[in-house]
Amino acid sequence: MRLKWKLTVASIKMYLRQKEAIIWNLLLPLFMVVLFGFVKFDGIGHIELGVVDESGGSGKMFVSALKNVKTLHVHEGLRESELKDLEKGDREIVLVISASFDPTSRDSLTAYYGEEKPREAQLGALVVQRVLDELTFQRSPSVQRSSLRTLPVKTRNLTYIDFLLPGILSMSIMQMGIFGVAFGFVSLKKRGILRRLWVTPINPNDFIIAQVATRVLVLVIQIILMVVVGVIFFNLHFIGNVLTLFLMAMLGAVVFLSMGFALAGISRSEDQVAPLANVITLPMMLLSGVFFSRTNLPGFVRTITDYFPLTYLADGMRSIAIDGATLAQVGPQLLGLVVWSVIACSLAVKMFRWE
Amino acid sequence: MMAEAILEVRSLTKRYGDLVAVNGVSFSVGRQEIFGILGPNGAGKTSTLEMIETLRPIDGGEVCLDGIDVTRQPQEVKRLIGVQLQSSSFFDKLNLGELLLLFGELYGRRVDPVNLLREVELEEKSKSYVGQLSGGQKQRFSIAAALVNEPLVIFLDEPTTGLDPQSRRHLWGVIRRIRSEGKTIVLTTHYMEEAEELCDRVAIMDEGKIVALAPPQELIRQLLAGGFKKDRVERLANLEDVFLSLTGHSLRED
Repeated sequence: MRLKWKLTVASIKMYLRQKEAIIWNLLLPLFMVVLFGFVKFDGIGHIELGVVDESGGSGKMFVSALKNVKTLHVHEGLRESELKDLEKGDREIVLVISASFDPTSRDSLTAYYGEEKPREAQLGALVVQRVLDELTFQRSPSVQRSSLRTLPVKTRNLTYIDFLLPGILSMSIMQMGIFGVAFGFVSLKKRGILRRLWVTPINPNDFIIAQVATRVLVLVIQIILMVVVGVIFFNLHFIGNVLTLFLMAMLGAVVFLSMGFALAGISRSEDQVAPLANVITLPMMLLSGVFFSRTNLPGFVRTITDYFPLTYLADGMRSIAIDGATLAQVGPQLLGLVVWSVIACSLAVKMFRWE
Repeated sequence: MMAEAILEVRSLTKRYGDLVAVNGVSFSVGRQEIFGILGPNGAGKTSTLEMIETLRPIDGGEVCLDGIDVTRQPQEVKRLIGVQLQSSSFFDKLNLGELLLLFGELYGRRVDPVNLLREVELEEKSKSYVGQLSGGQKQRFSIAAALVNEPLVIFLDEPTTGLDPQSRRHLWGVIRRIRSEGKTIVLTTHYMEEAEELCDRVAIMDEGKIVALAPPQELIRQLLAGGFKKDRVERLANLEDVFLSLTGHSLRED
């Protein structure tokens, strides 16, 4: 026990004296958040319109007319999920077409809009009204026009930083695991440092435990640092449970640290690690929804990326941090990561070599 | 003639694929002896040492260190030996004192780093990092690290390669002093005058086999008895003597 502790302390000491590691693992993710935090991505280009069609068919024409309007991004869904998206800020306005929908009657349409974006909501309501007018006019020009009843909804008005920060945290867990471990071990191997250790009675597992413990500690520091900076400086809407977040992060760390050890096992030099590590991390970095939502990916790509470990981690971290999801609610992500950790651990055990 | 053996090597064999790197090597080393293993590159010196040091699996034969079989009880053997490896290094982000403390912990010992560093005349350097040391200082530190567990036998693989004549002589002094404290030393070297100066006995290896094993003076006598004559007339001094008389014996590394 004492030895494990001493090894861990030494390992942490070495980590903290390594300027590059601090820059790459701690400061770079923070810098990215700061950078993106100051860039505004939320201009009006189009209006996110949620449509809940409860009319059972009579509203179909109206919906397709709305879809023809360029400035509207129409999302069809159930009342509950659309309103939830409105609260999150993913919709500017949600239109509910009631069962008694008739283009000529009042009160059969309700539009909910986000309080914090009145400008977009107003614009959206205007557009919807015009579509409705045209539709009514076509049918019976003489009839009185139906009009929209609008209701305000309290929103949390999530911004890009809320999407980005959990993603960047997840990404840096991946980078630390794969690059940190793989490069670190290959370098120890190459410089003969490990050989020197093996002529002592050291238990190799103690050494690995110390390495993992060091990185877990760095991870905890990093999560705290990023969330605190996010909340204080960028109005991060963090409503999650910190322990749940840590648990998710640890599970992700298990997956990516194991991958790092597996890579370290099959590589003899840094030159061999780099391409392999990039082949694994780059697609995930770009396609796992770290920087941009995966909704716009082509169907089959999206299906593939559904199963990426970083997708599970980023989605899970985001749900916990921003939606306040409980462990049960991130069940699918947890399960995905557990499966990946079994795969990655077996690979690490099979491929890791000291020599 | 030889004191009680502390290291016994019998028919030691190492194969890498078709290549037999060490081919049935046998020798024993007595307590407090300085034993040299000589030979051209690729003769199997390092492989031999690494099998004894538990770093490489033994393909044939056996090695006993203080009566303990290396194959059967490698962990026990590791506790009894101190090793300086050829071209191995230490963590570069721990200073010398911290490194020695950590290596002590690996043996379950709480060592006094300053004492160990004094042993190799580096007591001023306890706050330095390995990267800041000169070649000779690195080798001396590496010997200090090999002493943390108060080993019975110390293995030094080419300890003086790449050092200037002053540093080399200085290291000889360190090695002799460690021997005088009751330890046994097994070393490899490419410098014949070093072997002649330092070693009680030497084994000369070639192509995986020991081709001669005796005290250096004995081997020289045998050669001369066979009618060997040098091409050039023996001189009373050589260039190294000139170099040292011009530049002195004091160390230049600090």
